[in-house]
Amino acid sequence: MNAISTAKRLPIPADALSLLAAPLTMLALWVLVTRAQWVPEQLLVSPTKVIEAVGELWEAGELQGHLQNSLRRLFLGFFSGAIFGLIFGVLMGLSKSMEDYCAPLFNAFRQIPSIAFIPMLILIFGIDETFKIIIVAKAAFFPVALGGYDSVRGIPKNYLEVAKVYQCPLWPLIKQVVIPATVPQILTGLRLSLSRSWMVLVAAELMAADSGIGQMMEWGRQMFRMDIVVVGVFITGVIGFALDYGFKWLESRLARWKTG
Amino acid sequence: MGMVFFKRLKGLVLPLALLMTWEMASRQGRAYALTFIPIEKIGRSLIEITLNGELLTNLLASLGTASTGLLIGGTVGLGLGSLMGLYPRVDKIIGPVFHSFRQVPLLGWIPLIGLWFGNGCLAKTLVVCLASFYPMVLNSYAGIRNIENNHLEVCRVLGASRWQTYRYILIPGSLPFIFIGIYHALAFSWISTVGSELLFTAGPGLGGMMQTAQMAAKMDIVIICVASIGIVGLLMNVSLAKLSGHLLRWRSTR
Repeated sequence: MNAISTAKRLPIPADALSLLAAPLTMLALWVLVTRAQWVPEQLLVSPTKVIEAVGELWEAGELQGHLQNSLRRLFLGFFSGAIFGLIFGVLMGLSKSMEDYCAPLFNAFRQIPSIAFIPMLILIFGIDETFKIIIVAKAAFFPVALGGYDSVRGIPKNYLEVAKVYQCPLWPLIKQVVIPATVPQILTGLRLSLSRSWMVLVAAELMAADSGIGQMMEWGRQMFRMDIVVVGVFITGVIGFALDYGFKWLESRLARWKTG
Repeated sequence: MGMVFFKRLKGLVLPLALLMTWEMASRQGRAYALTFIPIEKIGRSLIEITLNGELLTNLLASLGTASTGLLIGGTVGLGLGSLMGLYPRVDKIIGPVFHSFRQVPLLGWIPLIGLWFGNGCLAKTLVVCLASFYPMVLNSYAGIRNIENNHLEVCRVLGASRWQTYRYILIPGSLPFIFIGIYHALAFSWISTVGSELLFTAGPGLGGMMQTAQMAAKMDIVIICVASIGIVGLLMNVSLAKLSGHLLRWRSTR
């Protein structure tokens, strides 16, 4: 027993080292290539330039402004889309006639990628905030609605029949049967929604915006400021990771609550 | 029979209501008619761009970008994912880099790719390659990792050759996952084709066509493009589901 556990514990430092090895090698390579000027500055900026750009943007207050605008759009759009999606999906799962009326249109719209709606929404709402929040809400709506719908339909039929026999009113039915049975799948839908919302928002900001991380990158591209573009790519990655990781953490917490 | 018909009818209520609201909005005056193009005009534009070949040219260009990207990105992804699944050492070295690159939303790479490769065909294809690369790596990796260990042990005990292990265990065992990977890669390749065409407007393609139409405030063309994108996506999903159902039919008999 003891021998097994030590044998298992031994490789951990080596693991951590190999985990960091590749990223560190890449960073070293990046520094080396730019220092030795094997590739022109316009094609690959040096890491120091990127860090300088972060400082410069931060000093000018631009970075905070862009971040604030992007995150505000993301959360406004995500929450409105997710709430509507959840209500819609659960209702469609619970009510047969609602399903008959709404499912065909819902499925038809679900086939169309959110990004494809951007030009249409620009024509209807102009390039202001409304269109960005609506496109994010649209991206958030469908995965949550689908998760809610599927999970409600996955509730064993006899649970609902028992509730019907006892003439259980709607709210206790939702609280005691629907919510516990559907939370895991809905959470997965929400996580998917959040990462899709973020991608669509970045795309919308790249296409038409006066502020936001996407607009900052697009401006950098037009001005040939690769340092700013790299800062933008890095930030979108970090935010995407943080959103996904945060949600997974939330899911595991809630799963523990459920089993506990 | 009657029930099914009635159900279909119910499903038509909302789309028809939507169309009627649209048509009514288009008759509220000239300003409205610019945005809410009358349905009849959309139909006429559809006939026009179908007959002069504009729709077909752009559709084929988009399909070309999507399939080239899918083929290249998918193959490379399949290779890398299998290597990572088969050799833990490769997984340890490449895994962290792969997962950190994956955090950047796909279209977030577009400005950087634009700086490096311009805004033409190459840049678009590269975005699509990346889009189909990620799901193939993840799923082929999962496919190999999910193969039951005792199957491999049986191979070892019976002295199966390397080729036999691949032929009878590794390939059939990971095939279902690989199909899930192809399924995702196909969907992402289509989305990213449209996205990259919207952002790199040079050259033909449905996305570029839609963007040009938006600049010229031609709502009818935009709507036709959106509908075509949806229909093509749907056809891709349906045909792949049929194909994988056919190829994996041996599974259900277990």
